Amino acid sequence: MNMTKQLLGVSLLALTAFGSAAFAEDVTITIWSLDDETQPAYTYAQEFSAMDNGITIDYREIQFDDVVSESMRAFATGQAPDIIAVDNPEHALFAARGAFLDITDMIAASDAINAENYFPGPLNSVTWDGQYYGVPKATNTIALYYNVDMFTAHGLDPDSPPSTWDELVDAARALNDPDNNIYGIAFSAKASEEGTFQFLPWAQMAGGGYENINTAGAVRAMDIWRTLLDDKLASPDTLTRGQWDSTGTFNAGNAAMVISGPWELNRMVEEAQFDWRVALLPVPEEGAERASAMGDFNWAIFQSSDHPAEAFAALEYFASQDDRLFPEFGQLPARSDIALPPTGVAPKDAALIVFLEQLQYAQARGPHPDWPQISKAIQDAIQLSLTGQLSSQEALDQAQATIDAILN
Amino acid sequence: MRRIMMSVVDGKGFDLILVGAALIFLFLFSGLPLLYNILMSFQEVDMFSLGKFFRPFVGLDNYRALLSQPAFWPIMWNTIVFVTCSIGGQFLVGFSLALFFNLNFVGSTFIRGLFLVSWVMPGLVVGAIWNWILAGDFGVLNYFLENLGIIDEKIFWRSDINYSLWAVIITNIWLGTAFNMILLSVGLAGIPEDVYEAAELDGANAIQRLWTITLPMMRSTIGAVVSLGLIFTLQQFDLFAAITSGGPANSSNVAQYWAWELSFRQYDFAKGAAISTLMIFFVMFAAIVYVRSTKHEVRG
Repeated sequence: MNMTKQLLGVSLLALTAFGSAAFAEDVTITIWSLDDETQPAYTYAQEFSAMDNGITIDYREIQFDDVVSESMRAFATGQAPDIIAVDNPEHALFAARGAFLDITDMIAASDAINAENYFPGPLNSVTWDGQYYGVPKATNTIALYYNVDMFTAHGLDPDSPPSTWDELVDAARALNDPDNNIYGIAFSAKASEEGTFQFLPWAQMAGGGYENINTAGAVRAMDIWRTLLDDKLASPDTLTRGQWDSTGTFNAGNAAMVISGPWELNRMVEEAQFDWRVALLPVPEEGAERASAMGDFNWAIFQSSDHPAEAFAALEYFASQDDRLFPEFGQLPARSDIALPPTGVAPKDAALIVFLEQLQYAQARGPHPDWPQISKAIQDAIQLSLTGQLSSQEALDQAQATIDAILN
Repeated sequence: MRRIMMSVVDGKGFDLILVGAALIFLFLFSGLPLLYNILMSFQEVDMFSLGKFFRPFVGLDNYRALLSQPAFWPIMWNTIVFVTCSIGGQFLVGFSLALFFNLNFVGSTFIRGLFLVSWVMPGLVVGAIWNWILAGDFGVLNYFLENLGIIDEKIFWRSDINYSLWAVIITNIWLGTAFNMILLSVGLAGIPEDVYEAAELDGANAIQRLWTITLPMMRSTIGAVVSLGLIFTLQQFDLFAAITSGGPANSSNVAQYWAWELSFRQYDFAKGAAISTLMIFFVMFAAIVYVRSTKHEVRG
């Protein structure tokens, strides 16, 4: 009897011990990101989860359009994930309100993540009030793709692509061929973040910015966009078409140039039946300052996370895999300390060199907690001006008034 | 006690329970969200107070801010144009088709059924298909119009501020016609044949018969179709999202899309709620017309 009791006690003890040990091992952190199984976040999350480190990752794929609204709702109701991948202009929206965890000290103590290794633009987008609230996940920028065959056919020198705005308009005019359904250039002036993404660098090159969008240079930039549309050098659908679809017309041979980013490279290698190259975004005039857009997502840990240390360990692992970003996934790491090996596809490798140079001039949008509203004001100006309802000056003045009201 | 029990099983109590259940259901799933929306339109809301119920009260500030936006009146006008033209188009085409199929030729019921295909398709799919039809550079519609000699230059349906709203209206008419036709067909079938025969004997021609018999006897059906159409068009959101996104420069933006844009693109939930509240009055008007026209039907 006594024996049985003792045995029972021991086994119970063992069970409890075993149970609690298993429980201690089982830290689960949730990650929300838009990457699917062919993309880095999903792949890294699975790898990290499979490691024998006592951390399991619960990964949820979430659509681009839903990232902010979903995570807001989750945060408001106390169900936010531990880690989220957020589009860089929206980072400040969360950081400024204390929704993201300040990881400055964690980064300082980390071996895998070193702030100096990141490009200034992406790093700026995770910074709020001098503190780091995240880690750049990848980066991208925009430059000018051009169809070498069309350049040659129209007597333009493909070795010296347009380098100033005026040259760009001239080239577009020379290449424009409405009888054969070919536009001189394609870009996106869509009333969404894409429109801002494409226009802001033009304003920045000419000495403007989101804080002062109605400078003379920015007005000239808008006038050039307007010339491109008014003279039908770009399709009127530029107003409603995103960058992906605009580049589609370039790949199909219906536009001779296109302004877009490195995310197009793999598709272009497959689709384009012609010789193409990439050039830096043209500047207002010879010797002017360069600028370009900066895109892609950042990692952040929610302030409400119960396992910040484990979440940061996951980010450290992701950062340690940054050298795989380009060879495996075709994305550009946001770091200057990673050398990108040639892929063996000549046009892609040549393009990569241009994009890496362009990246040095990439500027973050914001950071500002009210970025969506600022961006909307710029989008409205683009659309009002390009549809001829207001002059470029009036449209940008109106945007400036809206932005001033937001900034002050 | 027994009397109460009896009344619950069979009597006034039973009726009350039925009415009560319906009312509670309505209150929980329609009334509360509606009231919450109205409450939100008087508060200052941002993403971080989204989960709370009590937020700073700002009175009519949200409404004032909306009215002071230059886009407000154009968007309201677009909403009126969209609703009127969509309903008008849907009704005219739908009624013509209903009259046509009422001729009862061979296969008429079968083909009439096929027309419902457009009605059962999701708005986003319809929008995507019409996107190709309406595309500026390579659209089918432009190709036809050019070949028929109706237009000389391509119309950029989605990107030209003079046409963008019409792009959505045309699509919406196509989408809603079948529903109108089916309801109106039912109404037509309900008119006794002998009335027409009598009129014909008296020498009434086709137009007179339409004007003096068909239309008056269809009054309640028409009232119901138009007010349901009003409700459906005011709810129409998918087509805007799929075709023009309200652009360019708000030229095809309407109240319902704007409300969504404000709430979920600029995260200004209070202003989004304020537009929704304004729209409640429009829909309420439609609902009153609908209830009145169907009441007539029951009595008649």
